[in-house]
Amino acid sequence: MATNTLTYEGCNYLRQRLILATLSGKTVRVRKIRSKEDDPGLKDFEASFIRLLDKLTNGSKIVISETGTSLLYQPGLLIGGKLEHECNTQRSIGYYLEALVCLAPFTKKPIKVLLRGVTNDQIDPSVDLIKLSTVPVLKRFLGTDEGLELKITRRGAAPDGGGEVIFSCPCRQKLRPLQFTDPGKIKRIRGVAWAVRVSPVTTNRIVDATRSILNQFLPDIYIYTDHLKGSQSGKSPGFGLTLVAETLQGSFLCAEAASNPKGSPKGPTIPEDLGKETAKILLEEIYRGGCVDSTNQSLTALFMVLGQQDVSKVQMGTLSQYTIQFLRHIRDFLQVMFKVEPELKKDDDDDDLQIGGEKLLLTCVGVGYSNVSKAIM
Amino acid sequence: MIDNKPCNHHIRKMEDQTHSVKKHRQPRAGPSADKKKAKNKHVQELTAQQRNPKAFSVQHAVKTSRLVQRSQDIKTKKTHIPLVDRTPIEPPPIVVGIVGPPKVGKTTLLQCLVKNYAKQRLTNVEGPVTVVAGKNRRLTLLECKNDINTMIDIAKVADLVLLLVDASFGFEMETFEFLNICQVHGFPRIMGVLTHLDAFKDNKRMRKTKKRLKHRFWTEVYQGAKLFYLSGMVNEEYQKTEVHNLCRFISVMKFRPLQWRITHPYILVDRTEDITDPETARRNRKCDRNISLYGYVRGTHLKNRSNVHIPGCGDFTIHDMQILSDPCPTPDQEKRRSLNQRERIIYAPMSGVGGIVYDKDAIYIDLGGSHSHNKREEEEVQPANDLVSTLMSTFNPLDEKINTSHMTVFSNTAPISDVGMLGDQPSQESVQEGERVRRKAVFTDVLDDVDDNSEEPKKKKVKVDPTEELVFDDSDDDEGEDGNNAFLKSGFSLSTERVNCTEQSNDDVEDDDTSEESDDDDIEMEEMDLSSKKRGIQSVLGDNISKEKEDGVDSDDEIVLFANKKTSSDSFDQDETFDNDANISDNDSSDDNDDENDNENDDESDAESDAESYDDMDVHTVDSIKSPDEKSVKGSSDTKLISKTRKYSHETKASVESSKITDSESDIESDEGLGDEADDKETDENNESDDDIKETEDVEAEEESESEAEEGHLKWKSNLAELAAESFRKRQKERINYRKLIYGQDAGEELEEEKNDDDDDELGGLFKVLKRKQEKKTDERLSINKTDCSRFFIQTVQDWDLEEVRELIKDCFVTGKWDKSEDAAARLEQDDELYGDFEDLETGEVHKEDNREIDDEEEDSTAEGEDDGERKRTKAEITADEKRIARKKKLKEVFDKQYDMKDDSEFYDSWKQENEIQAQLNRAEFENMDDDVRVNYEGFRPGMYVRVEVNNVPCEFVTNFDASYPVILGGLLNVESNVGYLQTRVKKHRWHKKILKTKNPLIVSLGWRRFQTLPLFAIQDHNFRNRLLKYTPEHLHCHSVFWGPLTPQGTGFLAVESVSGVMPGFRVAATGVVLEMDKKLDIVKKLKLTGTPQKIYKKTAFIQGMFNSALEVTKFEGAKIRTVSGIRGQVKKAVRTPEGAFRATFEDKILLSDIVFLRTWYPVEVPQFYNPVTSLLLPQEQKTAWIGMKTVGQLRWERGITITQNQDSLYKPVERKVYHRKPVTIPQDLQKNLPFKDTPKILQAKKNPIKRVAVIREPKEVKVAKLMNMMKTLDDHKKKMERASMRERVTNHKKKQGTIDKKKQQKQKETKRQIYKALGQLEKKKNKFKK
Repeated sequence: MATNTLTYEGCNYLRQRLILATLSGKTVRVRKIRSKEDDPGLKDFEASFIRLLDKLTNGSKIVISETGTSLLYQPGLLIGGKLEHECNTQRSIGYYLEALVCLAPFTKKPIKVLLRGVTNDQIDPSVDLIKLSTVPVLKRFLGTDEGLELKITRRGAAPDGGGEVIFSCPCRQKLRPLQFTDPGKIKRIRGVAWAVRVSPVTTNRIVDATRSILNQFLPDIYIYTDHLKGSQSGKSPGFGLTLVAETLQGSFLCAEAASNPKGSPKGPTIPEDLGKETAKILLEEIYRGGCVDSTNQSLTALFMVLGQQDVSKVQMGTLSQYTIQFLRHIRDFLQVMFKVEPELKKDDDDDDLQIGGEKLLLTCVGVGYSNVSKAIM
Repeated sequence: MIDNKPCNHHIRKMEDQTHSVKKHRQPRAGPSADKKKAKNKHVQELTAQQRNPKAFSVQHAVKTSRLVQRSQDIKTKKTHIPLVDRTPIEPPPIVVGIVGPPKVGKTTLLQCLVKNYAKQRLTNVEGPVTVVAGKNRRLTLLECKNDINTMIDIAKVADLVLLLVDASFGFEMETFEFLNICQVHGFPRIMGVLTHLDAFKDNKRMRKTKKRLKHRFWTEVYQGAKLFYLSGMVNEEYQKTEVHNLCRFISVMKFRPLQWRITHPYILVDRTEDITDPETARRNRKCDRNISLYGYVRGTHLKNRSNVHIPGCGDFTIHDMQILSDPCPTPDQEKRRSLNQRERIIYAPMSGVGGIVYDKDAIYIDLGGSHSHNKREEEEVQPANDLVSTLMSTFNPLDEKINTSHMTVFSNTAPISDVGMLGDQPSQESVQEGERVRRKAVFTDVLDDVDDNSEEPKKKKVKVDPTEELVFDDSDDDEGEDGNNAFLKSGFSLSTERVNCTEQSNDDVEDDDTSEESDDDDIEMEEMDLSSKKRGIQSVLGDNISKEKEDGVDSDDEIVLFANKKTSSDSFDQDETFDNDANISDNDSSDDNDDENDNENDDESDAESDAESYDDMDVHTVDSIKSPDEKSVKGSSDTKLISKTRKYSHETKASVESSKITDSESDIESDEGLGDEADDKETDENNESDDDIKETEDVEAEEESESEAEEGHLKWKSNLAELAAESFRKRQKERINYRKLIYGQDAGEELEEEKNDDDDDELGGLFKVLKRKQEKKTDERLSINKTDCSRFFIQTVQDWDLEEVRELIKDCFVTGKWDKSEDAAARLEQDDELYGDFEDLETGEVHKEDNREIDDEEEDSTAEGEDDGERKRTKAEITADEKRIARKKKLKEVFDKQYDMKDDSEFYDSWKQENEIQAQLNRAEFENMDDDVRVNYEGFRPGMYVRVEVNNVPCEFVTNFDASYPVILGGLLNVESNVGYLQTRVKKHRWHKKILKTKNPLIVSLGWRRFQTLPLFAIQDHNFRNRLLKYTPEHLHCHSVFWGPLTPQGTGFLAVESVSGVMPGFRVAATGVVLEMDKKLDIVKKLKLTGTPQKIYKKTAFIQGMFNSALEVTKFEGAKIRTVSGIRGQVKKAVRTPEGAFRATFEDKILLSDIVFLRTWYPVEVPQFYNPVTSLLLPQEQKTAWIGMKTVGQLRWERGITITQNQDSLYKPVERKVYHRKPVTIPQDLQKNLPFKDTPKILQAKKNPIKRVAVIREPKEVKVAKLMNMMKTLDDHKKKMERASMRERVTNHKKKQGTIDKKKQQKQKETKRQIYKALGQLEKKKNKFKK
């Protein structure tokens, strides 16, 4: 069989490459992974991710060189089903969950996975963010949210983790094309202020600070406080805030921040600062705008491509670097290019609406992807 | 009416006159009235249902429910799952396959059809023939050889099949085989054609045969399928009218989309070419070839660089794809019904239709008509032919070859150069003049602009060979230009840059076009261009090393430039504008009278401007040293600057003469292209700072315009500033080309690196370049190993505490301002306009909108004067009209909402509508896009004629090519090029003679592929266990699992045992459908392990002989076991000795003689054998004789080896031992209690325990014994006699006694009678007394 191998260098965007390789069935080779660094080769969290991928698939072949600086991945078929995975604490669960979300609709059996590790940290999107903004995006492509759930049973802050989430997702034969070009106006802002192993007052302090900024825009703001105790609170202290702005058309723009992990050189975070900072990040996100927020751009693009041979169209804000790279990878793996063009403002209105930065329209034709793992009777 | 009135009057008069005659009055009361009433009594009119409600009620509930069920079933059957309509606007030609057994007249029919369509006779038909069949229908006719491979391939691609049947012979096996193949791969339209009908002498027999064949055909295809009769031959051809009728049937045929074909792209190849480097092919005849295949894309969009499968050859990846102009286009939609001669095109490149003309990427066929062939084409074709021939014939090194071939092209092609290759013109005239070079280039551009469509192919040509042009330019340089001619230099570098642009992406050209449009002829626009150019410069600063290199090629000036790298952008810009202004004045004063051909003057002026700019440069360096920022980034700024200033001077000059304007424009454009690109890169790298840059640019633009306005001594300039600003703003909107930002970078990087390598050898200013390279490397390295994170981190958050910043997003919230179409207030107003007049029922007020409107109008008219007022009024009328329409529309919508869609079909209808909308969107989205760009987004859409390059094809494909075997390029979806286990549902075909054996090789046709594999048959038990079967069941579906290419679920497949030659019987062995794919599988076969008890303690037993080690036992701990007699048990634990023995418990005590079973399942491995059928690669004579793996049986048969049989397996005569039953022994205790008769009679059993002893007597004793014997005999006799006499005596006595008894009885009887008589009389007497 003529399966041409795609070769890349470096460990950046490793997840994208592995995900797309799995979905497209192409073999991928990654070389020069941290080859010039003091600690060369794959890190523990990447190894953990590869292990998760191995659990999720059937018949995949993974060859890692002795030094760990090069990796060959020959994908198998996605099986899904019930899984458990101990995520490495170097990265939060979000790192793993993002990839899982991309693969979940194409498994043989509906996926139900239990992940343990760090639920919230400063690098990756937290599980709260995924729950609040990624799940609605997924729902749009699946059609319904039946059997789609992300449950946070335990919270674990960086660096030691101890959190636990359960993610379940139904599998589909095909995805629906998506036309989503009008995000509508923001009707409400919700959020979760969480704290573990710190004083319960922290959450209230965060909420007050956040409201002081956001109330200037919208009255309908409610931020849930989530202070966990005992076994549910993980191993390290921490607190944070995830905010989501919901629009009339059902798009969710999300922003979040978490406190510095225990023992970080930056010292402890002040809750008020964190609240204000998060509010500003949210405003920035709103400024960027679009029908999906910046963390979900790549997921949306992926599912648009994996749809039927129909045109999908979505409005987005400025593309993140990650998304741009993802679009390039999509072209490599699936031979599909996106039409990306700025949305033209309507000329008939002489007074422009102040809706933030430039909005882009992403259009693509699906490749007619169908789930090859799922059995028919 | 007017007439009637007097008439009535007249009648009344008449009545008056005849008053005396009384009118009859019916009786209203009284007996006569009653009588009448009774006679026709009024009966209430009732409907049948009212009269007899019972008859209409549900009387038979079951029957009614069945009726309802049936009607619903019929209704539901009519509905199909709605599909999005993805049929292309201009579909590819319809593939008509002509199929049948040999000698039925396929070729003749094909020839007749071609003759009917093209009015031309084809003698030798090979490969597909495309003809124009009508105004909007083309056909690709294809003959099918009598080979099962070909039949399978054709069934996969044909839209319509003409199934030829020899009526004089009847149906043949091939026909049914083909129909079965079709059923598996999606049923195309099938039309039967009966031939050889003239063979029937008897008319009645013919009629009967026709009918019989027709009915058989109907059962195979569908009831009422069209069967066509071709009655006889005239001059070795079918009758003209009949063929014509057949063609009419073909032309009205409608087609159903087939699942596989609407999801997979494919090409029926109608022309192939070997494009391998002849040198490599010469060196190694067996080397893998690069080929190009031509054909129409069918099915769905085919993407470049995707995987394809060529049935009969193998899997490949598309190396490259191009669109070609349609060789057989559908005639334009004109009013006329019939086609004219020119439009009757036939395209059959493999058949060698006369007068073929080759081009690089197209083939033209001369039909000989005077209309069809014009001279221009010939002219174009001529040089291309030369090109090809030079390329083919010479055996020189490659670069030489390219050079020579190009030279010939240019020398021969005055007309071509006229139309324009960009690179060639400068090469020819560069010796004379730099200006001219550019002008020519521009001229072509303008031309392109004017008639964009017509020049398309040529443009492409330019794009295709940028390297060649580059080479060309270089050679010019070598020819000995004086290096001081900076003007020329700049021009030259520009042209190369331009080439780069085109190389990087085709899109550049588009950009240029758009910019041109905006420029057009206005002189003023040039200024604006300049400003944009500056932007270009700025943004280029960053990372375009390559450009720097190019500019710097062998010019001493540039070396200087390398030194000044550090420039802060602001100062730079200001300076530049200054410069430019100075230049303008200079040029205006001195160069106005310059002719474009005047070499020296130009040079002088350029020199001047050069000098100036150099001075400036120095200033910059001083400046820039101070600014420490962005040192490494601003690479080529100064180089650019120089060239820009030069150009500027040139432009100003050119502005005087309109002819020159166009010239300079082109340069600017090319620059812009670069600039844009660079922009993109910049934005790519630091997205965040983007806004800042924009701002600064704004400022610059303003400054610029201001300074220019201040100049003011030329009137047009003041206007220009405004225009420039405006267009600048406009540009800024569409400034970022996202396409290049995202997709265009990689190519650019590669290019840069290459350039770097080149320069290392040549340049003196090497040191800095290297350093930067190093830097870049480290940068790259950092980026490739950066943290992989999807979050969008922002370096600089906007200051949201500021009111102005907050204002930026205030309308994102529901509290903000709304769009007019959505704003509640605005909509309310709109509604008012529509439903303006209404009556408030409570108050009784009537609100009128008309008044208000009129008032408004009046106001308007008074305000604006009469003329305007009139215009307004008409407008108002229109709006009123529109309003009415809008109102009606709205009402209708409301009505529809209420009354339509309330049916049970609501869901279905809305689904259908959704699909409709999607289909419209699919069509509209890329509709207005240029095809070159469009194919990037959606792939090559069906209906396009394309050229596909495929590399590394086995050389046999080329050497053994036979056009009569169809070549199909089947596109594969993403996962389909991988292999895995396929689980399928399969059924042996009932017409196939043998049953199929597990693990025997079968040739499977699945998807596009044909391959040999080793299937395992299995059946699914009720607990979903797949149990292995040794053979396929006779009339039952079973599962089969084999190793093969992953193919989507639901795809049909068929299996044949062999594809070589003709076998007796029905060749299709089995058909089936794919259910599931996996990389592992779970087929099991039954395994029974046996053991024997070693020791038995009550219910526990130690079993041995079942396992070989304790480990094995541990694996089976807790497993269920069973004895032959059915006593169930469980494996408990291994014991130490003997090895493999274990303790087990049973539900009852087992016997030592019992055998213990363990029933278990053993997984079976499916051999990973996948062998594609490579029938296309075989030599011509063996094409139909592909043989893959053989069965062991076949091999034995071929080699005459008999099976070595296991002696144990042989049958022997059965010898049965006689069965001896053991006697029943009854215990003593029991015997005692038995009744006597049931007791075993032991005495009897002991009857003759004494054995007789032979006695030998003495003679005396013998005498005695004799005497005794005699006496005994006598005695016996005496006794006998006595006994007999006694018996006689007794009988006599009995007789006597009998008579005595009789008498005695009679006597007694008599006495009794008398006594009774007496008693009776006594009684009588007594009674008498009583009375």
